[in-house]
Amino acid sequence: MTGLEKFEKFNHKISMGIEWVGLAALLLMMVITTLDVLGTKLFLVPVFGALDIMMIAQLVAMTFAAGATLIVGLHVTVEFFVPLLPERLQDLVDCIIYLLGLILFVLIVWRLCLYSYDLQVQGEVSSTASIPFYPFAYGATLACIPVCLIYACYFFKSLLKVFKR
Amino acid sequence: MSPETAGIAGIAILLLLFLLRMPVAFAMAFAGLLGFAYLGGLESALTLLAQDIFETFSSYPLSVIPLFILMGSFAFASGISQRLYKTSYTWVGQMRGGLTLATVLACAGFAAICGSTAATAATMGRIALPEMKKYGYDDVLATGTVAAAGTLGILIPPSTVLIVYGILTEESIGKLFVAGILPGAILSLFFVVTVILLCMRKPDIGPPGPATTWKEKMRAITGIIEAILLFILTIGGLFLGWFSPTQAGAIGASGALLIGVIRGRLKLKIAIEAAKDGLRTACMVLFIITGATIFGHFMAISNIPFVLADWVGNLPLPPMAVMGVMIFIYFIGGFFMDSMALIVVTIPIFFPIVLKLGLDPIWFGVMIVLVGEMGVITPPVGVNVFVIKGIAPDIPLHHIFRGILPFLVALIVLTILLMIFPSVATFLPGLVRY
Repeated sequence: MTGLEKFEKFNHKISMGIEWVGLAALLLMMVITTLDVLGTKLFLVPVFGALDIMMIAQLVAMTFAAGATLIVGLHVTVEFFVPLLPERLQDLVDCIIYLLGLILFVLIVWRLCLYSYDLQVQGEVSSTASIPFYPFAYGATLACIPVCLIYACYFFKSLLKVFKR
Repeated sequence: MSPETAGIAGIAILLLLFLLRMPVAFAMAFAGLLGFAYLGGLESALTLLAQDIFETFSSYPLSVIPLFILMGSFAFASGISQRLYKTSYTWVGQMRGGLTLATVLACAGFAAICGSTAATAATMGRIALPEMKKYGYDDVLATGTVAAAGTLGILIPPSTVLIVYGILTEESIGKLFVAGILPGAILSLFFVVTVILLCMRKPDIGPPGPATTWKEKMRAITGIIEAILLFILTIGGLFLGWFSPTQAGAIGASGALLIGVIRGRLKLKIAIEAAKDGLRTACMVLFIITGATIFGHFMAISNIPFVLADWVGNLPLPPMAVMGVMIFIYFIGGFFMDSMALIVVTIPIFFPIVLKLGLDPIWFGVMIVLVGEMGVITPPVGVNVFVIKGIAPDIPLHHIFRGILPFLVALIVLTILLMIFPSVATFLPGLVRY
């Protein structure tokens, strides 16, 4: 197994592993809202801070699933032009696009980290349950790192392909 | 470079990134970031990037998306679709072309609990295609029907695309859902008529299935009760103002999960896989919205939407002619882009025009979703066609595209009908409370 294959396997393991956190957060969104509706309609007792929990759970669910979503190839792409190009050019295009994806996510991780720090310093909390936002923002930042790793791996793989042809 | 010129250059970069196969969500974020950095400074652009990501992902109104997607995933895994097909099959299967009619009806029923075209086509394709093959149905008719009827998923509520449109334009999701009911029902009827006409012209393409007794027919009705209950609970609850869209989605997801568990279909492993599918799809959709938000901010400071809206508003053309041009752009765009991505990209530019011309935003939403449906079944990026090809790899792609043509005519007829009679889409929303 080459170093790149090991790197890819590592990325796969990390992304699929942290996706479980996202899954738990998504199910929490469903359960909390259902309990809130039933509690409000049947017993006139809503779940305290349901809205705050929903917002935070959604942030966690989406960011922790970002790596797995990229790996399984669910993102929408426009597929009609590149397949018409010669294979070597296709690899080169892939190489550029993966590099741009890597740059984008490195910027996202960097700026989300600063944003989380701002939330921490300013003591931002949710409106009803006063849940601090910053731990979840840091979590979201960490959850985007695997996306950088995946893009880095894809970039090196396509670069190798370009030089091998 | 003036802001408007920078805006046009940003759109050109976006299109180039699309062409080079960068995921739509990331292409919009990247082009938006570059453009905003050029016009507003790098520091503000980078701050906006983090802020938009945090605020979009933690937005309560957006939580309606993951929950309705989760509902569709659980409904898919619960076997509701199979029972819908069986019921439709028992009622109309013995008619000429009966299995295709059953497919259209089951797709319409499944669309009422699932908001995705690809999921509807995949679900029904797996069930209906083997049956149609067994009874000697023509491949062109069989595959074309499943691919086309699958498009009902984004028109009949709950529709993921209508949710996204509602969020981007701040229109009531409840009203948009209700607006899709009548056009969705009419389109289902048009598809049924299309099948009947095709089978009348060439009877051998859809031989009748075995006859069923009235007792069997009545017993089969139990197969659709759960789908009806789920629809009444979610969309009915929205219609009557019992639930907000997010609450309707959560109740729907819990209901679909409960049905699957009671029916014994959703074992732990299957339920987890279904939830993971839903999570990944929701993640993809929310990334698209985040990308669109970033790109939308760039568009706003470039002034392009406002200049364009002013220009179009002052054209010596009636609003309906401008609407016709926009619909044509969506029709052509649908050939190359996924319907949701197309709507997300174009809304920041077209929506101010719609408002300027005084067109009904609810009606416009239904219209572009309807046109988006055509993109789902037309080459070169007809998602449903590739879904069907994946299920039936032995059937050539051009057979599936040929099978779709008559249904495309039905879609175009409904689009024209809605242009002439907007009240088909706007009548029911007038009654909705939420």
